[in-house]
Amino acid sequence: MNTLIYTACLGLFGLLAEIFNLRKYLIPILVLGLAVIFSLNLQTWNNPQTHFNGMLSDSNFSTAFSGLALFIMLIILILSGDFYTSTDDEKHISDYMAILMFTLCGALMMFSFSNMAMLFLGIETLSISLYVMAGSRRFEVKSNEAGFKYFLMGSFASAFLLFGIALVFGVTGTFSIDGIGNYMRMHADKLDPLFIVGMLLMIFAMLFKVSAAPFHFWAPDVYEGAPSLITALMSTLVKIAAFAAFYRLLSTCFVFALGKAEIVLTVSCAATLLVGNLVALVQDNFKRLLAYSGISHAGYMLLAIISLQGRTDSALFLYSVGYAVASLAAFAIAITVFKATGTESISGFNGLAKKNPLLAASLTMAMLSLAGIPPFAGFFGKYFIFSEAFRNGWQNMVFVAIISSIIGVFYYMKVIVAMYSKPANEFEIKPTFAYQMVIAVCLIISIVLGLYPGVFTKLL
Amino acid sequence: MNVSVDYIAIFIQFLVGFGFVATTMVATHYLGPKRKTADKLASFECGIDSQGNARLPFSIKYFLTAILFVMFDVEVIFMYPWAVNFKELGSTGFIEMLLFIGTLLIGFAYIIKRGALKWE
Repeated sequence: MNTLIYTACLGLFGLLAEIFNLRKYLIPILVLGLAVIFSLNLQTWNNPQTHFNGMLSDSNFSTAFSGLALFIMLIILILSGDFYTSTDDEKHISDYMAILMFTLCGALMMFSFSNMAMLFLGIETLSISLYVMAGSRRFEVKSNEAGFKYFLMGSFASAFLLFGIALVFGVTGTFSIDGIGNYMRMHADKLDPLFIVGMLLMIFAMLFKVSAAPFHFWAPDVYEGAPSLITALMSTLVKIAAFAAFYRLLSTCFVFALGKAEIVLTVSCAATLLVGNLVALVQDNFKRLLAYSGISHAGYMLLAIISLQGRTDSALFLYSVGYAVASLAAFAIAITVFKATGTESISGFNGLAKKNPLLAASLTMAMLSLAGIPPFAGFFGKYFIFSEAFRNGWQNMVFVAIISSIIGVFYYMKVIVAMYSKPANEFEIKPTFAYQMVIAVCLIISIVLGLYPGVFTKLL
Repeated sequence: MNVSVDYIAIFIQFLVGFGFVATTMVATHYLGPKRKTADKLASFECGIDSQGNARLPFSIKYFLTAILFVMFDVEVIFMYPWAVNFKELGSTGFIEMLLFIGTLLIGFAYIIKRGALKWE
């Protein structure tokens, strides 16, 4: 809870910086603030508490994911210093930073909610901030389109979520997730049909937020149109926040009724895996490629969620960390390349290995981690999810997942092939110091986690 | 408690509401006299021919002022229950309200500084 309050204070500080003309010092202060909050967040470890009359509850689950979210936001802030350099950006930097902090607030709420109202508030705080950020390049048509599309689709999904919450409340008479869980335990054999409808509506809304097929259509357009840094934020923090909330919702509220929703979740998971990986094969734009790769990763995380007969939160957490660091490294490199070449197509990476071998090797490592090749964190993330699912009797799904991750290797290779075997273009590509640091830190975490995955598997 | 019986009232309400609209629309369609002229069928029947495109850029000042007004207007609603229970809530309630108003004040200062209320 304290994590959330301090983050909100940082957001308010962003607004105050506008008033007192502190724009120059804003990013360093926010980075420092987030680092302090990160260490304060560790204090809630093994210290479960409920706050505000059962609205929020700290648990090891929320502490671990909050730590990950704070880390991602820290990286994004460090990257933003060299990203927002135009005069128009500098005029709005405090707005952007304040909105980013409020995005983080929404994510933190989604990790620790214990009441449906807080779930909805968290999702809305996160989404509304993102609608603004997706459209924050005001004079670019694509950015406007991204913001508007995201807003329209997202508000539909929110309406579904609210309707679902209302129906579940109508049957159980409570908003508390423990209350709903208790109701389920007592009435597991004869559930009210209204309850099942409400549960399915909520599941649809969450599937939209994690961009699982068949609710994935917004993702590629929004990812392509939004500013690259915001795309990085959406494909890491937002996706992980949505998955953590989804997991929390299913594992506390709906675990006894999951049999009713099993077919929906299974079909969606298989479709997400296949659509994400197959459509990514024909993408030429790097951001769209990463968008479809994000969709396919949503499929793997969904597999972790539907096989939750056992407790799969450590598998989900390990996967989230591996995915986040690899994506952040890939985006840091991609932003550098986009800026130097002025194009977002994969051809911009042509011959990168000749001009900047270190950068090309880094991107290769990030891509291999995303594809799930050892010794990177991505491999062990996938391995634990598959083995958990296999143990819980989801052999068919594991089969589909393995096939699709083999397909996935092809399109990650497309980028690597472009870097190593295509003739070089004339642009000079050199990341700034902040970007070099971020890329190095992310890849080191990825490798360390790949070599010692035990750090996180026994964590939760 | 029988859920399906409880909802019959809502169903009847829905039926009456929908039926009223449908009946009035159909009835007026058939009952009223019709004398169609070109002017009457124009989209804006004000005596003046409409000119140009309706999709013009227009100033969003009104919209911005209106939405800011709504925001600070709704805020007052939170003060009523607080004022009624002021004695029971004691100093904790007072501090909480100060925090709430303080947060809003930061937002207000931000709006002024950003120039959202400048008319020219």
